[in-house]
Amino acid sequence: MPVTVDARGLACPQPVILVKKSIEENEEVTVFVDNDTAVENIRRLAAKAACKFSVTERDAGTWEIALKRTGAAVQLPGGANAREDEMSSIAVSGKETGPLVVILSDNRMGRGDDALGDVLVRSFIHTLLQLKPQPAVIICYNAGVKLAARDSAVLDDLQQMEKAGADILVCGTCVNYFGLGDQVAVGHISNMYDIAETMAGAARLVRP
Amino acid sequence: MMEPQKFAVFLFPSVRHAMTAEKILRDEEIAHTLIPIPRHISEDCGVCLRVGIDRQDQVAAILQGAVTWEKIVPL
Repeated sequence: MPVTVDARGLACPQPVILVKKSIEENEEVTVFVDNDTAVENIRRLAAKAACKFSVTERDAGTWEIALKRTGAAVQLPGGANAREDEMSSIAVSGKETGPLVVILSDNRMGRGDDALGDVLVRSFIHTLLQLKPQPAVIICYNAGVKLAARDSAVLDDLQQMEKAGADILVCGTCVNYFGLGDQVAVGHISNMYDIAETMAGAARLVRP
Repeated sequence: MMEPQKFAVFLFPSVRHAMTAEKILRDEEIAHTLIPIPRHISEDCGVCLRVGIDRQDQVAAILQGAVTWEKIVPL
């Protein structure tokens, strides 16, 4: 019998925390959530934890997710999903393996003058497009999430990098804090588990 | 497939000039991108304004008298 986790009414990242704990202890878990961010977070968790994932929209705004472990519980030291397999192929030479990760923790580059910092961050992100290898993951948090918003001056560049295969993680807590919920136009809403794991698994972190 | 768009870049005497020019283009709602000066044009660590090559004359006319630029280079 599957164990049921009712995560309706809970804010990110609570649903994924509850589900992660539950699937570590149970073979099958049924989850109820009421937002699509939670659905996507749980979908990624399932991929990482080698779980079968299926989702059904029950009523408007309620999703039922069925998770079933397909193997032994997998340890996730930062290399368990397909994305990271791809990354290892573009890792820099040398003994380090793992993705190149860019951290955008602010919507400006450096401190001193805001207008200059705005110019610099746009210049930096545009230059990333020409970098070889391309960053495998770009993480936006704190005011950095503003760079992923619809009115961002670097939206085109970020979208191009996403199209070229970069995974862009946008901190859900931060999006919520700045009230940008419906304005994120690139990447996907992510949680601190993904962010911390990705940072910990990176060969190199680049931060403007 | 669409033809890739062709661009021209405006080079300025300083970053501040580039920022002034950008503000003008933003106010005039002219599509533009502020980018680092491409290496093949200059080793300067400055920024320049990239516009569609079909907009080059229009942009020059708008900036004329408001901000000075050094040169316009097709990309």
